Amino acid sequence: MDSNEQYHDRVAGWLTAFAVVWALLGMVAGVYVAAALVWPDIDMGLEWLSYGRVRTLHTNAVIFGFGVSALMGTAFYSVQRTCHVPLFACGLAWFCALAWQVGVLAGGVSLLAGWTGGKEYAELEWPFDIAIAVVWVCFAVVFFGTIARRRIRPIYVSNWFYGALIIVIAMLHIVNSLAIPVTFSKSYSLFAGAQDAVVQWWYGHNAVGFLLTGGFLGMLYYFLPKHADRPIWSYRLSIVAFWAFTYSYIWAGPHHLHYNAVPEWVQALGMVMSLILLAPSWATMINGVMTVSGAWQKLRTDPALKFIVLSLAFYGLATFEGPMMSIKSVNVVSHFTDWTVGHVHSGALGWNALITFGTFYFLVPRLVGGELHSVKLANWHFWLALAGTMLYVLAMWGAGVSQGLLWLSLDEIGELSFSFKDIMASMAPYYALRFVAGVVSLAGAALMAYNLWMTVKGRRIVAVAPPRTAPEAA
Amino acid sequence: MNSEATQSPWSLLRLLKRPSDVGAGLSSPAGGVQAVLLRIVIPLSIVPPLFAYIGGSTLGWRLGADEPLRMAAGDLTLVSFGYFLALIVGFLSTAAVSVWMSGTYGARRDFGSHLAFVAFVGMPVILASVAHLVPHAFVNMAVLIPALIWSLYLLYRCLPEVLGTSREQGMLMASALVGYLLVAFVSLLGITVVLWSRGMGPALGV
Repeated sequence: MDSNEQYHDRVAGWLTAFAVVWALLGMVAGVYVAAALVWPDIDMGLEWLSYGRVRTLHTNAVIFGFGVSALMGTAFYSVQRTCHVPLFACGLAWFCALAWQVGVLAGGVSLLAGWTGGKEYAELEWPFDIAIAVVWVCFAVVFFGTIARRRIRPIYVSNWFYGALIIVIAMLHIVNSLAIPVTFSKSYSLFAGAQDAVVQWWYGHNAVGFLLTGGFLGMLYYFLPKHADRPIWSYRLSIVAFWAFTYSYIWAGPHHLHYNAVPEWVQALGMVMSLILLAPSWATMINGVMTVSGAWQKLRTDPALKFIVLSLAFYGLATFEGPMMSIKSVNVVSHFTDWTVGHVHSGALGWNALITFGTFYFLVPRLVGGELHSVKLANWHFWLALAGTMLYVLAMWGAGVSQGLLWLSLDEIGELSFSFKDIMASMAPYYALRFVAGVVSLAGAALMAYNLWMTVKGRRIVAVAPPRTAPEAA
Repeated sequence: MNSEATQSPWSLLRLLKRPSDVGAGLSSPAGGVQAVLLRIVIPLSIVPPLFAYIGGSTLGWRLGADEPLRMAAGDLTLVSFGYFLALIVGFLSTAAVSVWMSGTYGARRDFGSHLAFVAFVGMPVILASVAHLVPHAFVNMAVLIPALIWSLYLLYRCLPEVLGTSREQGMLMASALVGYLLVAFVSLLGITVVLWSRGMGPALGV
């Protein structure tokens, strides 16, 4: 072992900083589009500020800017510590970190300019798709290269989840992005009609599965035991849940295409596999809850732990609600309504954001070898995040169920009772409530950004060397 | 010490004004589970369906569109009764889940205390159900959401005292109960939608 060997934590630190910036930018874009649904003239007639363009900027900024930066940063941080070696090809890791930021920024500008492939969560045009694939392969080389050089024989469960994220997202992105370029800014999918829809939602749902669920479970499995200062409640359950999750998630995409022009059996398969998915999802939730329940004393000193506790509650909700909404007789009412938007945000704000914020409150002080600037501000952030998420979900439940009922209501002669336009116009109060929820959530995130900035201000990332001794055999 | 606060919904209501006394007020309720069920839970569970029935039968539910959604008297009675049963099941199941969790979080285990506490936490929402008399979906949300926030405050604030656990374990247990309540609520929403799509309730084109 090289006696000067040190973990490469600066790249993880910068990715954390980028993630915080993207969280703020993405949430500002989200609050703007929420406002646009209440005050439609807010864009002042400018195409660049139109709802359709800024909405895709919002989703791309939070998923790919915030989410992927956080996942890449925490994966780089944790894989070194679970393998007891510094990152493989550190220069390549820096390339991944910086190229990703440039890609998301340029991609965001292209979306505002009106470049779009029209596929949800895969709107970026073909030059960006190629760039994403290149960066992602480099990410895989760094991550799996580090695992290949590990000094600990077992591969810790967080690395299984991060590994699945890297492999499956590469597969989904490359297949779903296959397209014929027409100009530099326009291409057409290689697939057509219903086939295109099936490929798109195979991508779309598994992007949710392996990025927003699996990737963040990798974060949970490394940082929760660190927070709690005790091992995972059941390591065996975590491994069983990983394989069950990986096997069942990949089939669930067709539930996005219920009552559409895809074969009935494909829809039924998507529904059944979605219901099966509840088991591994809740196995992980139980594992997390039981791990943290034995570490309650830590709550006295660690404001970050409560974010993780609450994130598990919303993880439980989102992973129950998703399978429930895939049942066809529920989906007939919920599909295309704001209920789906509420469901997505119970996952995004309640699970992804809270687990990441909790992780950052834990990680950033340790990266710079200091204390968190203000526990009080972190506690304020916690209550704002809880209030914002609850308000958002409740507003969208109200709007969604109302829409579902009104769209399907029939009068005495079997005609639709209400016009679509009138129904949507009546949704304004719910959208105003959603706007307030967005502002509350954004205020919480801004407090976190300030708190973390004050924590790192004037400090440098501390050097940490891998342990000198091999761990004892289990 | 047996508590007087669980003698009737009114005594529980008085406790809302002074949550700092809640520990002595709700721990070991007089008469046990049966008394809490008969004196508190059942009377409280009648209130929201009653308001909903009166509002639904006189004005009809407005979900946003101009024309109200009206249901036949028989259907409305059935739905209101279903609402009553859902509340009873909701109170009892939440108390049961709370007892089940108590071992993990070092809380007291007697069902009566848990049921009284769950009823107490639900009081603000029960009170806010007066909004059902104006059966407009958004009006109800606007009234019920602040009440829900009040209930959440009571859950986090009072759980350690009433159920006899530490503040930190109480915080974890309250968060676990929030998770259960969210799942229970969304299950109820799902069951309701399935019943609608099977022809029970409003006439839908499915």
